[in-house]
This record gives sequence, structure tokens and C-alpha cells, in this order.
Amino acid sequence: MPEAAGPRPQEASAARVASNRRRAVGTLRMTWLIAQRAAREALQDRFTLLMSLVFMVALPLGLVVFVVRPQAASGDPGLGSSLTFLLLMVGLLPAFSAIGIAAGQFAGEHERGVLIPLLAAPATNLALFGGKVLGAVLPPLAYTLVAQGVYLGGLMLVLEPSQLAFLSVGLVVATLLLVAALACFGAVVASLISSRVRTYNSAQQLAGLVMGPVLAALLSLVGRLLDRGVIGLLVGVIVLVLLDGALAVVAAATWRREEVLSRR
Amino acid sequence: MIEARGLRRVFGRLVAVEGVSLQVPEGTILALLGPNGAGKTTTVRMLAGLLAPTGGEATVAGWDVRRQPAAVRASVGLVTDSPGLYDQMTPQAYLTFFGRVYGLDEPDLQRRIDHLLGLFALQSVRRVRMAGFSRGMQQKVALARALLHEPSVVFLDEPTAGLDPLAARVVRELIVGLKHARRSIVLCTHDLDEAERLADCVAILSHGRIVASDSPAALRARASRETHVEVALARPLPSALDVLGALDGVIEPRLEPSPLGLAGGRLSYRTTAPEATNPLVIAALVGAGAAVVSVTGTLASLEDVYASALGQATAEVGQAVEEVGQRA
Repeated sequence: MPEAAGPRPQEASAARVASNRRRAVGTLRMTWLIAQRAAREALQDRFTLLMSLVFMVALPLGLVVFVVRPQAASGDPGLGSSLTFLLLMVGLLPAFSAIGIAAGQFAGEHERGVLIPLLAAPATNLALFGGKVLGAVLPPLAYTLVAQGVYLGGLMLVLEPSQLAFLSVGLVVATLLLVAALACFGAVVASLISSRVRTYNSAQQLAGLVMGPVLAALLSLVGRLLDRGVIGLLVGVIVLVLLDGALAVVAAATWRREEVLSRR
Repeated sequence: MIEARGLRRVFGRLVAVEGVSLQVPEGTILALLGPNGAGKTTTVRMLAGLLAPTGGEATVAGWDVRRQPAAVRASVGLVTDSPGLYDQMTPQAYLTFFGRVYGLDEPDLQRRIDHLLGLFALQSVRRVRMAGFSRGMQQKVALARALLHEPSVVFLDEPTAGLDPLAARVVRELIVGLKHARRSIVLCTHDLDEAERLADCVAILSHGRIVASDSPAALRARASRETHVEVALARPLPSALDVLGALDGVIEPRLEPSPLGLAGGRLSYRTTAPEATNPLVIAALVGAGAAVVSVTGTLASLEDVYASALGQATAEVGQAVEEVGQRA
């Protein structure tokens, strides 16, 4: 009896693996393309940029000059915890603009009529959703980096080396990671809401309503983690990253592009 | 090639499209006509792989819209009624972004962008932000985006809306060019003249259903078998109406003042057999001493067909609502 035509099982399996890999690479490439465009647009928004300048430059310098310097001069024993807490705040405030940007990603673009050409493109739901979340997070994270850089630069100018030692490299890195994880969380939730409501205003209001209590609870948790030092913060980061990942996958999997079009 | 059978789409309780079947072979333009809310955009979105049909089947460029929507989206170009541009981008950056989204290779992409920007006379503004563009320029960029990946099927939702006459002509010529390049084209428009000039086939939608579908000429012929004939006379002929009244096949002859200012006025009548009647009319008029300047014959216009199809559909819906009301 002649052998059946077609690839052998191993070959078919290898072809399947290669095809899945190509698809994954395609999705990642598409996600990055969409994220880049969304991020660029957010960076070009003058109002957000102006507000971010306040958070990036004025606020950290103000805190250094009007809060940290007097505290350091008076020899306050609580200076170490103050420095860490302020580092977190300086990073978080610009990072929260991710929520506003993400709220506009679906509902806002749908209202402006610019979403349909992208929905009509062959991008997967995961690439579209992931790209938009990433695009909403990248500019605020850049603002955060600048703000924390300005804050640390200011500290170097006004503090003695012995006082600067309160902030270890590990603590600074852990704080930055925590801020990034919190910004991602906010952006995923805001994108999720934005993709399921009709207008930008309702997306913003709902995102604010949902994120207010959630972030308050998370910040209170972060406050406790700060007392446990770098390890505590890193544990918080890992938990948040897992939560972000799970939420993003669920959000992308349950999102249907046609839901946006079905809303009339 | 587009083939749809019994397409249906429901939004909650609203039936937006019901039982739409159509066929658009390669190198053919189908014009979808109908009032706002008739279901044109929903039909296009289903065929473009954007909305899953609630019922029915359709294949576009060989792909099933229900099972392979991503492949459908990769094979079609879509221009919506609003250009939908990122106005902070330049045409060059915008087209590069979409070209990459459609997976075009870099050298091929730049070649296509150069070609399309040249075609739409946008080369001088290729690096200018689109925020200040006129509606016509925005529409041209949207068309360039839709054609970037050389789709085999193109959906154009009111592509000439808001364009100046010259820009609209460029777009119409482009549509004809796409047809000659063997593309299947679906054109949604409110411009009946445009539909008549461009389309090989017209489908009139009302309340989500196709109420009339055929070539423009066949639709016009079906709407009325009578040809309206006008004869312009250079000088007055008092016996003109008597001459026409004596002939078989002439319906409702009239004599009106000439819009061209001719002293003889304009003689008009209807006939179901123009090939037999018109030679008799002209011979009789000339025999009676008339100075005939011109003779024109017109079938019912697409506007008449549209009005008649929609009037009939509205009456049927009204009757159905009444029947439901009586039963209730």
C-alpha cells in the first residue's frame, strides 16, 4: 500500500511551531508599531506636556527646596523615610497621566472618527489592545524617569553624602519598577473601560471612579511595603506585574473590535 | 470578487441589515444607494471584515467574512465617510504607519507612497501636518491609505463627499482606473449621478433590505417603459399638437415655451415604442412645415427609480407596521 501523501507528524509539528512563532513575532511587531504611534501622539499633546512639565520639573524641585532641605537642615530623624516616600510620589504623579491617555485610546479615537481605519487593518485584537495600552504607558514612564532624575539631581545638590545614603540604588530601582507597574495597571483598566464605553468623557469619568479607590488601596499597601525596604517593594512589583499581565490578557481576549462599532 | 447570501446584522433589537445578497465580480463597480440608516455602512462593514454578520454568508477575495475576518481585512481597502486621519501626522508618516501595519516591505512601501502621493497631487504637502488640510486633501490621503496595499476589493463610503468638483473628478477617474485594474468595488453614495456614471450595477437599500438591484439602464427601463421625447422647434407651428394627436403611439403631447428661447417652443410627448413612433412624428411635423432643431429621448432617471423603489419600500413597511398594530 502506498504511503499517504503529506508531511510526516514531526514535520507538521515543526511547521506548526514555526507558524505560531511567526504569528507571535508579527503580533509583537504590530503591537510595537501601534504603541509607537499612540505614544508619539500623546507626546504631541500640548496640555499633557505642559502638565507633565509641572510634574517633571517644578514639583520635584519644589519638594527638594521646600520640604527636603529644611528637614535635612533641622536634622530630622525621619529624613530617610521622607526621601523614599517623596521619590515614590514624584514618580507616581506624572505616571498617573497614563490613565487619562488610555481613557482616550478607544472611546476618544472612536469619537474623533480615527479608530475605524485601524480596526479595518489586519492587526490582531491582542496587538491592537496591547499596542494602545503600551502607547498610553510609555510617555508617562518617560515623564516619571525625568521627574525622578530631577528629584535625585536636586537631592545631590542639597544633601550631604551621608544623608543621600538613605536612598540606595536598589530602592530607587525598586521604586521606579513599582511606579511602572502601577502605571500599567491604571492604563490597562482605563483601556478596558475606554474600549467598552461610547464617549471619551464617560471613559474618563468611569476610569476615575474605578481607579480612585483601587489606587488608594494599592498606595496604602505600597506604604506598608516601603517600611519593609527593597525586598518588600520588589515583592509588590512582582505581584503587580502578574496582576497587570493577567488583566491585559483577559482584557484583550474579551475585547471584540466589533463592539466598538456596534455602539451607535 | 464579492459574494454575499442572506446577510443579516442585528444591533440589540434593531435589524440593521436583513437578507442582503449581492455579487460583485472582478472589474465591476456596485453602487449601494439608500437613505441614511438604510444599512449601507453596516453592509460594507460586514463585507470588510469589521463586523461579524448575525446571519448569512459572504466571501470577499476568496475569504469567508465570518471565519477569516483578518484575511478579509488584509485583502480589502476601506474609505469611510469621514477620512479618519491622525491630524498631527504628516501624509508621509501616516502612510508609512499604515503600510507597515499592512506588512508592506520598506522599499515597496516607499514606492507605493511616492506613487499614490503623486497620483493625488499631495507630494508638496507630504511632510506637512494634516491638521490644516482641507476636507478634499484629507479624503485624498484616506484614499491613498486604502489603496496602499493594492487591495483586490475596495469599499468606498461616499468617497467624493465634500470634495470640490475637480478633486471629485480625480477620484471618479481613479475609481474607473481601479475597475480597469480588475478590482471589485463597492461604492456607497448619495450622488445618483455619480452612481449612474460609474456603476455597472446598482443596489438600492431601504430599511436594511435590497429593494431594487440591476444595472442602471435595466433599472431605468424597469421603472418606466415609456420614453419621454422632446422636439425643439425653430418657428411656431400652430397645428403641431393636432399633427401629433393624429398619430398612433403618441401619449400626452404638449407644447411649452422653449428653455433655449426658440420661437417655436418645445413639443413633448411620451411613447412606449420610440423606434416606431419617433420617425413618424418627425416626418409628420416636417410635412406640416415644422423647422425641427433637435429631438431628444430620455428614459426614467435613476432618481425616478430611486424614489419609486424607496416609496414602495416605505409603503410596504408602513403596511406591515399597521398590520402588526391591528393584530396587537
